[in-house]
Amino acid sequence: MITKPDKVGAVLVVGAGIAGIQASLDLAESGYYVYLVEKSPAIGGTMPMLDKTFPTNDCSMCILSPKLVECGRHLNVETITNSEVADIQGEPGNFKVTINTKARLVDPDKCTGCGSCAEECPVKVDDDFNQGLDKRKAIYKQYAQAYPNAYAIDATRCLKVKKPKACGKCLEVCQANAIDHQMQDTTLEVQVGSVILCPGFEKYDVSQLWYYGYGKLPNVLTSLEFERILSASGPFGGHLQRPSDGKEPKKIAWLQCVGSRNCRNEHGYCSSVCCMYAIKEAVIAKEHTKYPLDTAIFFMDMRTYGKDFEKYYDRAREESGVRFIRSRVFEVTDTFDGTGNCQIRYSNEDGTITTEDFDMVVLSLGLEPASGMVELAGKLGLELNKFNFCESPSLTGVGTSKPGIFVAGAFSGPRDIPETVMQASAAASDSAADLADVRGTLTKAKEYPAEKDVSGEIIRTGVVVCHCGINIGSVVNVPEVVAYAKTLPGVVFADEKLYACSQDTSAQIKDAIQEHGLNRVVVASCSPRTHEPMFQETLKEAGLNANLFEMTNIRDQCSWVHMKEPEKATAKAKDLVKMAVYKSALLEPIDGVTLDMNHDALVIGGGVSGLTAADNLSKQGYQVYLVEKSAELGGIANRLRFGMKGEDLPVYISELVAKVNADPNIKVYTGVEITDVQGFVGNFETTLSSGEVIPHGVTMIATGAQEYKPTEYLYGQNENVMTLLELESLLADKDSKVTGAKNVVFVQCVGSRDAERPYCSRICCTKSVKQALKVKELNPNANVFVLYRDIRTYGFFEEMYREARNKGVIFIRYTADNKPVVKAGADGVQVTVTDHVLGIPVEINADIVGLAAAIVADKDTNGKLSQFYKVPLNQEGFFLEAHMKLRPVDFGTDGVFMCGLAHGPKNLEENISQAKAAVGRACTVLAKESISVEGKSAFVNERKCAGCGDCEAVCPAKAVQVDATKKVAVVNEALCKGCGACASTCRCGAINVKGCTNQQLIAMIKAL
Amino acid sequence: MERDPKIVAFLCNWCSYAGADLAGIGRIQYPPNIRVVRIPCTGRINPLFIISALRHGADGVLTSG
Amino acid sequence: MQAIAAQVKEAAKKLLEDKKVDLVVGFAEGSLPLRGTPLFARTPEEADQLTWNRGCENNLANFLRKREGKVAVVAKGCDVRSIVALTKENQIDRDNLYIIGVPCDGMIDRKKIGKLLGGKEVLAVEDQGDTIVLKGNGFSETAKVADLLHNSCIDCRYGNPVVYDALIGELMPEKAEEDFAEIKEFEAKTTAERRAFLAEEFSKCIRCYACRNACPMCYCTECFVDCSQPEWIGKSAADVQDNILFQAVRVFHGAGRCADCGACERACPMGINLRLLTRKLVKDVKVLFNAEAGVSMDDKAALATFTADDPEPFLVKE
Repeated sequence: MITKPDKVGAVLVVGAGIAGIQASLDLAESGYYVYLVEKSPAIGGTMPMLDKTFPTNDCSMCILSPKLVECGRHLNVETITNSEVADIQGEPGNFKVTINTKARLVDPDKCTGCGSCAEECPVKVDDDFNQGLDKRKAIYKQYAQAYPNAYAIDATRCLKVKKPKACGKCLEVCQANAIDHQMQDTTLEVQVGSVILCPGFEKYDVSQLWYYGYGKLPNVLTSLEFERILSASGPFGGHLQRPSDGKEPKKIAWLQCVGSRNCRNEHGYCSSVCCMYAIKEAVIAKEHTKYPLDTAIFFMDMRTYGKDFEKYYDRAREESGVRFIRSRVFEVTDTFDGTGNCQIRYSNEDGTITTEDFDMVVLSLGLEPASGMVELAGKLGLELNKFNFCESPSLTGVGTSKPGIFVAGAFSGPRDIPETVMQASAAASDSAADLADVRGTLTKAKEYPAEKDVSGEIIRTGVVVCHCGINIGSVVNVPEVVAYAKTLPGVVFADEKLYACSQDTSAQIKDAIQEHGLNRVVVASCSPRTHEPMFQETLKEAGLNANLFEMTNIRDQCSWVHMKEPEKATAKAKDLVKMAVYKSALLEPIDGVTLDMNHDALVIGGGVSGLTAADNLSKQGYQVYLVEKSAELGGIANRLRFGMKGEDLPVYISELVAKVNADPNIKVYTGVEITDVQGFVGNFETTLSSGEVIPHGVTMIATGAQEYKPTEYLYGQNENVMTLLELESLLADKDSKVTGAKNVVFVQCVGSRDAERPYCSRICCTKSVKQALKVKELNPNANVFVLYRDIRTYGFFEEMYREARNKGVIFIRYTADNKPVVKAGADGVQVTVTDHVLGIPVEINADIVGLAAAIVADKDTNGKLSQFYKVPLNQEGFFLEAHMKLRPVDFGTDGVFMCGLAHGPKNLEENISQAKAAVGRACTVLAKESISVEGKSAFVNERKCAGCGDCEAVCPAKAVQVDATKKVAVVNEALCKGCGACASTCRCGAINVKGCTNQQLIAMIKAL
Repeated sequence: MERDPKIVAFLCNWCSYAGADLAGIGRIQYPPNIRVVRIPCTGRINPLFIISALRHGADGVLTSG
Repeated sequence: MQAIAAQVKEAAKKLLEDKKVDLVVGFAEGSLPLRGTPLFARTPEEADQLTWNRGCENNLANFLRKREGKVAVVAKGCDVRSIVALTKENQIDRDNLYIIGVPCDGMIDRKKIGKLLGGKEVLAVEDQGDTIVLKGNGFSETAKVADLLHNSCIDCRYGNPVVYDALIGELMPEKAEEDFAEIKEFEAKTTAERRAFLAEEFSKCIRCYACRNACPMCYCTECFVDCSQPEWIGKSAADVQDNILFQAVRVFHGAGRCADCGACERACPMGINLRLLTRKLVKDVKVLFNAEAGVSMDDKAALATFTADDPEPFLVKE
């Protein structure tokens, strides 16, 4: 008898870019142990290199770094850097993974990241992170905020690696003894239940395209080089200049589709992200200069198809004055006048040739699949597409050809950050779905001794001042600071440490707590952002509440920034210690808050997104209530006949509906709406129009969207004019209208990209091209015309666009101010459009006019739900996520998630992926036994509170409400994030924040 | 006094405080007369903090978030 | 005016007779002419004392917070704006409040009469519409009402109640936008001049907190200035800096909430020009957030709400 091997409650995540980080965090928070394997010495991937991110212009590093810290510190994420997966054996539920680790030559557990070694290292190397625009040392940290916060040695460049007797300067200065040039490569084997591949992408190698002049002309740069130039942490500190001569550029051009949409070098696909990043770079570059900067983007089709992207494009054009030049670029040459400027020769749309000179040219490089994955994919038998991107089976969103192995991010096709994050959460959900039985079997939790009661005790503060090797001690007079600390009120112990963060110091702090009966601890060392949790851990291990700890930063914000003024730096360090000591005297223990929670999920909307979410939640072992407004399940997909890859959708949907209906874990309600909602995460109570009240822990909003009913182009007045969804059934039924048609016309952007709906509906270009091909297939003699503004067949859909052109589909571009005119004719309808090449009106007697009607939100339903669950909508009535980049399915309100068209237009495959992502996020909540929060929340002094409700108005987490009867504000600690906006708004001083009270902050101020 | 003003800075833990850390990592030198108060969010800054700082002898207050 | 007074009386009596309300808050004649005094009428008989004249300057919103039972109020434009603001702050239950709105084109400032008459005491007045006859021992002088109005009334654009359940009198035509001339003049001064001016004004302050008590929006259980943990600012009137800070923060706390009724300034026994500060904030809130206090039940708190179309000219883009 063959017994199936036991399932393993751990997951392997390959690649630690934003996808890997997100997937790891979601899984670790959902009860699985994660091995996160990363090739380079630090996690982060591409995001840390980017300056700002579209469409919010958030700083990339700023939004990423909290995730880096969280992932790096997570007890259930084992980060394995400098490593690659060599092999994966076994079957879904139980894989054996072989991981090869290259010797880092620095022990990350010992290294404190102080950087003394790099200062001494004599070997300068091109800095890859800065795209070679400047130098780093042979011992280096990938970037300032890197995790692990530890250095690594570039073995190919280190002198001592080459000759053991040479150099060794780093060894001399490293007081932590972290460096070991003899460290060996290792191999590790781990058991996991499933695998997520998210190796990211590589940038296109532009040297293949000589005519862009890259490498030859010093002022032709890649887009990634330009990101580094813009970045404040980049080679020029954020000063916009030419790397070649330091000159401030007055004119910059961006060239689109470099290595994309180009069949000649087997890059026929669209890289999907370049249009947006080029616009962003142009807008940000303009913000950088004090002088007027001329920016021009040379493009073929402007593909701003994502959520809020079109508005970003509009603003760039109309407000920032970025020039957009629809063109084909022939070549970039030197201007040959000694300025180093570049000349672009290009063809306009009408075929005329123009040249223009620029100070700098930025090549918008396309995305290529991760080259290192081809070998592993071969070994695993993973199917790749012809470009070597991973081929996901249809309508799985994140599947691969191998069960138990999933994919997220750019490995399965070029995509931007929010879609990557969505896929990561989706892959987390899918990879966990089959492991629900072993959830929580491998995760670790820490146990602490019972907490000492310090209430009523007199203040006994201990102060530890850190030398950080020589990082603090060489500038700040540490013994003097220690002596000063001893004079401060309440301080009964003060000492100096070489490294406050070392293991032995931790033990010494614990001893001091016992020996001196300390009930407050102050550490003056580096940044609390990286080290506070570690010291708090020490307190907990010594039986003190973690919040009896205060930390002050005398390194990053003192010794490092006042290196030439040691006396003043010492005085500052004393002040900072004094402030911390004064605050610490007022610190009080903060207890975590634990609340019961309901582990059922409510899914609102029975379309494909809602069905997928319900199905997936059920697989994870949770009870689901699925509520659909209409009488039947399936949503708008019931009107679809084939998918973008030709899938038979009616079959797919009927199977999905049947599966959900048959699932004992899913209770389906049709023909009902939501009439009232009470409660919050873990404790929702939703009332249905039937009167039934459903208690549930999380809410998933999947209300879908509708097809816009056109009022233009004779729609509704002439039977030959129809929307794409209407045409779809004619095509599927092989209707004689289609098979007998002579001329078929598709009109794009009907109700999209206009003043009323200033967004792109994303899927219509691809759908039209798909249908155009279908017409050609059914009726090869028909003339098919697609009237468009920009063809937005992003990603691999570009292949379909090319196929359509090859098969004779005629594409005619029109402009927003000169739209096609549709008139009723004797035989069908007459369509007039001005051809963009010829510049003259073309008349087509069409038998069928297919209108690519916009996707519009159901404003009424969404508006109601928005109020019920306290979640926002955007101007167009779609739900607005917590963060457009990194929290694409979450809301500011905890426990509420969304997916599908309710979030914004996207295709079925993407909706499925997003539904799974929402489940992935919801599972991080549902996996918890109870709701527990740190407790650093706001609290109300009822005696002082006048109940004016300003706190309620400003609270971004919707955690405060004025009690209707008591007329005082009440804080829901489960929801409060402790930001303190309430406390600074309150005129009466009635609301305050634990761990950061008015009294504590004023004590710090008065200490000065 | 004008030559060496005392400045109190209220910095948000998530952005400006991190920015000040980054200045340190980059060894960007700046005058040592600034005293940083770390807060959980710029929203935590009660206007009264600013007034208190000025009242207790600060010559300038920097809020950043 | 007398006709309106009669209608007010009648309306109030009816409400009390019909038991629609338990209390009517309005004005009774004071001990001296043009010194209307708040009246709390619980019976139709008591309501007989109600009146309406050019001396009904108090902001009655001050007496409506957190009242039990059904209450009616005789309210002019500024009272109603404060009522609206207080309602939105959960201090007044609109369902339990009946507003007898009275359009108001201004109340008379007794200080201006004093100036006009060189301090002679007025013992009786005769309201003749646009003019008023001031009578005292051995004199009778006719003056233009417009010359005697409170400055806050001259600046007021909301003499018509923005919300009411019954209206007495006729709505007045809308006034032109305010020009905030005196505020602009103040803003044009140098920092040193402004500092000197404020120091001069607030050296008068005796910290009696009459401004705070008169203000319908100053209702904190514990004012920040009385707080000891932490002690935000000093409590002694001897320190002019603390006096300025007290008033600055009090005024700031009124930002987007202050209806510019002028009650604080009228209450100040030291004659401090408080409206200069309150109106500066009124102007700032208008310019920066396009908001005015208490003019609509639907407007959100100006300082507690972000809207994408806030003008926010203070955001400087480099």
